[in-house]
Amino acid sequence: MGPVELLHMSVFSQSFSPCGRFLAAGNNYGEIAVFSLSAALSPDASQASQKPILNFTAHDGPVFSLLSTDTHLLSAGNGEISAWSWAELIKKSTKAAWTRKPSYETSLEIPEINAMIINPKDNSLIVGGGDNNIHIMDMETGIFKSVLKGHTDYIHCLCFKEREEEILSGGEDGAVRIWGHTEILLSHFQTCSGMASQECARPQFGKWISCLATDSDWMLCGGGPSLSLWHLRSMSPTSVFPLPGCQREAVFYQDLIMSVGEGPHVSHCLHGGTVKAQIPCTPSSLNTLALNLKNTEHRVMTVGGSSHQIDVFTNFSYRAFSLSF
Amino acid sequence: MSIKFFRIVQCAFWRMGSITDDEVIRKRLLIDGDGAGDDRRINVLMKSFTKWCHSNFSPEEGFSQYQRMLTSLAQCEFSMGKTLLVYDMNLKEMENYEAIYADIERSITSAHEKIAECKKEIQRAKRIRKNRQEYDALARVIKQHPDRHETLKQLEALDRELQQLSHIKENVEDKLELRKKQFHVLLTTIQELQQTLENDEKMESDDTQESSMENGD
Repeated sequence: MGPVELLHMSVFSQSFSPCGRFLAAGNNYGEIAVFSLSAALSPDASQASQKPILNFTAHDGPVFSLLSTDTHLLSAGNGEISAWSWAELIKKSTKAAWTRKPSYETSLEIPEINAMIINPKDNSLIVGGGDNNIHIMDMETGIFKSVLKGHTDYIHCLCFKEREEEILSGGEDGAVRIWGHTEILLSHFQTCSGMASQECARPQFGKWISCLATDSDWMLCGGGPSLSLWHLRSMSPTSVFPLPGCQREAVFYQDLIMSVGEGPHVSHCLHGGTVKAQIPCTPSSLNTLALNLKNTEHRVMTVGGSSHQIDVFTNFSYRAFSLSF
Repeated sequence: MSIKFFRIVQCAFWRMGSITDDEVIRKRLLIDGDGAGDDRRINVLMKSFTKWCHSNFSPEEGFSQYQRMLTSLAQCEFSMGKTLLVYDMNLKEMENYEAIYADIERSITSAHEKIAECKKEIQRAKRIRKNRQEYDALARVIKQHPDRHETLKQLEALDRELQQLSHIKENVEDKLELRKKQFHVLLTTIQELQQTLENDEKMESDDTQESSMENGD
């Protein structure tokens, strides 16, 4: 990997292994790198332990989305989803367990897949991408059960509400749609358009929604419009966060909201609408934020963006060190 | 003297079949840490005692030699007493340190427990803060909407107005029906009258025609 390629690398997605000791990151060249967190966090870590233990090319196009199940790592690039067994990856074998493609209407262009989530209740994989539709695949059989149509432009992000088993999707058309299904097929949806609220709208950036997060009754959405906290039952925006850039990913963590986007910092915000802190990081703009909550020893937050370095935060208030591709 | 002592000890240990020179030297140095002199004093005492027994001293010299031996014996006893006391003191110090050690261990465990408690407290406090923030956010939204009593009153007023208007509408409709019926009656009567008049005219013209026809015959 030459220096020019390193300079132009962007990290688009991250995922922690089910045991919490490894981190997989996908970049715009279609490569997935697996880093060992236990080596990087141990007291005698060196420069070498901040390099990946395994780096391989997974897809032709950029790896936009990574997701970990209990046994496998799912990666999605240009229209296809590949699964890699974590046990195999740790043993440095790069053979994919399976590769599947959702059924697209036109076979000419292959739309990219931007977001994937898992519905743990009925073990199905939900993907959304460039063809404006959400495809639902059953994990055991691999068959694509259903398609949820409704968005008029491509889908940026997906999110799942555990309690009511509803899917939230946000897209380029500025709409956040809530899909609920009492049975397998889609039965109803509600639209709550982020642009409808004048407080959040930022027409200079556009109306696209690129990040969604939910915490049962509350929802965060942001992108073109400012990042805002919505109360889902009443469908009203309760707080708008005064963050300057477009936010690409946001999560709820304990009593804070952490979000990353344009600008070389991670923003910590409170539910009331105040920005509590902005922690500086190495990449000039960030695309992805991941929290490792499965493992109590390696409880870290990692962020990646338009740089070949991934910042690791052990105490969420400052950057500890960086892993690099 | 000390070398002789060292050799005696070495032979003794050799018979036991163990230990090297270093060990012996180390032990020796440890035992004789009080200060060079004790061992020498004992040797000197032994030598002077044997000399005193075997030689022929004059009574005064013998007595003075005897006194000297007694003093050196007393000195040896004194130093032995001192070392015994030091030994006791060391034992007591050891006990003291053991107690302090146990104390510190206990306070470490209690500090650990306190830390765990505090961590739980902080989690609780964070949850409470989050709940408060959510409450505040919702309250802000709710405040933007008008008061419920006001809205209810407005609704009631509107309801009453609606009822009034519907009453009026009913009345007007009834009146309309009545007028329609009256007009209908009027029009039918007029039509009948017209018919009767026409019939009459026709009958009259028929009569005149018949009479003219009869006249013509």
